[in-house]
Amino acid sequence: MSEFLLEVNNLSKHFPIRGGILGRQVGSVKAVNDVSFKIKKGETLGLVGESGCGKSTLGRAILRLHEPTCGQVIFDGQDITKMNGQELKAMRRKMQVIFQDPYASLNPRMSVGKILSEPMLIHNLATKSADQEKRIHKLLDFVQLPKDAINKYPHEFSGGQRQRICIARALAVEPEFIVCDEPVSALDVSVQAQIVNLMMDLQKELGLTYLFIAHDLKVVEFISHRVAVMYLGSIIESAKSSELYGKSMHPYTNALISAIPIPNPEKKHQRIILKGELPSPMNPPTGCHFHPRCPSVSDKCHVKYPGVTEVSQTHEFRCFHPN
Amino acid sequence: MDEKILEVKNLTTRFNTPKGMVTAVDGVSFDVFKGKSLGIVGESGSGKSVTALSIMRLIPTPPGEIAAGEVKLNGEDILTLPDLDMRRIRGNKIGMIFQEPMTSLNPVFTVGNQIEEVIALHEKLSKVERRNKAIEMLDLVGIPSPEKRVREYPHQLSGGMRQRVMIAMALACEPEVLIADEPSTALDVTIQAQILELMKKLQDELGMGIIMITHDLGVVAEVCHDVAVMYCGKIIEQASVVDLFKNPRHPYTKGLISSIPSFDSTSLEEKKRLTTIEGIVPSLLDLPQGCYFQDRCFNVKEECRGGQGAPCLRSLDNHNHMVSCFNPI
Repeated sequence: MSEFLLEVNNLSKHFPIRGGILGRQVGSVKAVNDVSFKIKKGETLGLVGESGCGKSTLGRAILRLHEPTCGQVIFDGQDITKMNGQELKAMRRKMQVIFQDPYASLNPRMSVGKILSEPMLIHNLATKSADQEKRIHKLLDFVQLPKDAINKYPHEFSGGQRQRICIARALAVEPEFIVCDEPVSALDVSVQAQIVNLMMDLQKELGLTYLFIAHDLKVVEFISHRVAVMYLGSIIESAKSSELYGKSMHPYTNALISAIPIPNPEKKHQRIILKGELPSPMNPPTGCHFHPRCPSVSDKCHVKYPGVTEVSQTHEFRCFHPN
Repeated sequence: MDEKILEVKNLTTRFNTPKGMVTAVDGVSFDVFKGKSLGIVGESGSGKSVTALSIMRLIPTPPGEIAAGEVKLNGEDILTLPDLDMRRIRGNKIGMIFQEPMTSLNPVFTVGNQIEEVIALHEKLSKVERRNKAIEMLDLVGIPSPEKRVREYPHQLSGGMRQRVMIAMALACEPEVLIADEPSTALDVTIQAQILELMKKLQDELGMGIIMITHDLGVVAEVCHDVAVMYCGKIIEQASVVDLFKNPRHPYTKGLISSIPSFDSTSLEEKKRLTTIEGIVPSLLDLPQGCYFQDRCFNVKEECRGGQGAPCLRSLDNHNHMVSCFNPI
């Protein structure tokens, strides 16, 4: 058994573009392109990037909610991409997901008790209603919701409380690994802090492993052991979260960090303002995908895609002109 | 002394909902100065957007109603103006940028058309002059090849570009006050940085007063000179931006500032838990007696729980720093 719970090797997800009268494939959107990483047991890997960079697609491809185009996803020593339906269902008990929008991801017609017992029924974990109730109470306790929540409906809760219900639902099958797809983006700052704390406590208590996807670098850096930065379908830098501040190598990472508004009016910092916007993944730029916006671009970047350079065991990046 | 352009006094806006009367904005007062930015911060539902809409008199009536207060633009109360006169002010003297650049542009008109419409309403210019002015505005907000873009439709532009078009529209008639309602919330950080930088630059060039409405304290710290913090429809603290961040006096403001994760080189093991504000924002239909923040406050005293009513906004030792709290930090 290796020390890694999840190993992703050269994973790609391309969506076909169909055109013409016959609906033939005329191209593809390379949403995720040749991505590899590993996550240790009990660790949090943060995944940041702007909208459209493929971070959510990557999260879903790992769970096979999107069928990966190629590559391997090895969870607990088994390759998920080769599993049939039944094996996959059994595997999904160990891997769960929390979505961004707590308003859209809960069925408004189901009570909280029903929402939380459904995953147990699907995976035959608690068939007797007395067992179910006991487990639901425990789950509500985990996410710090009152016991009487069991008979209420989602509309009776605020955004933060709904996200707690989503977390409880993910925990209902006692998973080892949770993909958290922007779990705090839709929440107000004070509530966001509550949920981040809760997730970190649960990780310690239950030994969970997270893939934490978000566009807010501050939150990702706070909750993660390691952070991977994505740009147009590829991971362009990954480092320990403590290495990211001040030691980042890729110009895009630097620009992302410097774009964060700092809540300190007396600390005026020099911002790196990137030109332009994220190019379309339908028609990515040649060479390094970042070169049209890069402040330190050279001729080489127009033609060649940079390989991975390792700074240390935990820190690697893809750039010809690192800082 | 800075020149005061807009003066909001005791503004109160109510909505008549099926469940009862809701006071979304409750006695809000602030001033906007020429060339300065005032930040209004608060969580969702705190009344910051309704404040902006009330100033523009865009509250749907019914169910809403501006129940009390004055909004003085250069000394003239615009709340009592006839509708027709108000239309001369909207877009001309006071410009507004909305949060959603995707939904606030009309998809069936070119962006040029939409900018020209603003100009046609308020200025006597020929068709060609209007087109030239629209191109000039697009150029001002940093849109590349404006002659070409002016003929494009909103769907042909990215989110950041659309927000630039919104800014161009709001600034087309050189307003004295610009109200920006979460102008960068729907954008990515790198684009947000571009937009904030642009707004600062335009303020330097054109000298308008800005009301920046946001939930992001980071944005306030970057662009604003003064800040008002709103909670349940009331301003609970108001100060210069440096004062507010250095020395927050209201427990809510302090809680908001410290619940932002800091970004530095400490490793996960060394990190402390995030400071949170316990509980949730009370419903406007069911506000507690006394201070609205009492149930979430770590500094709560007996007098906060009713009896004396809600605390008023009063200045503390520093004249410009105002807090509404019985027990400030």
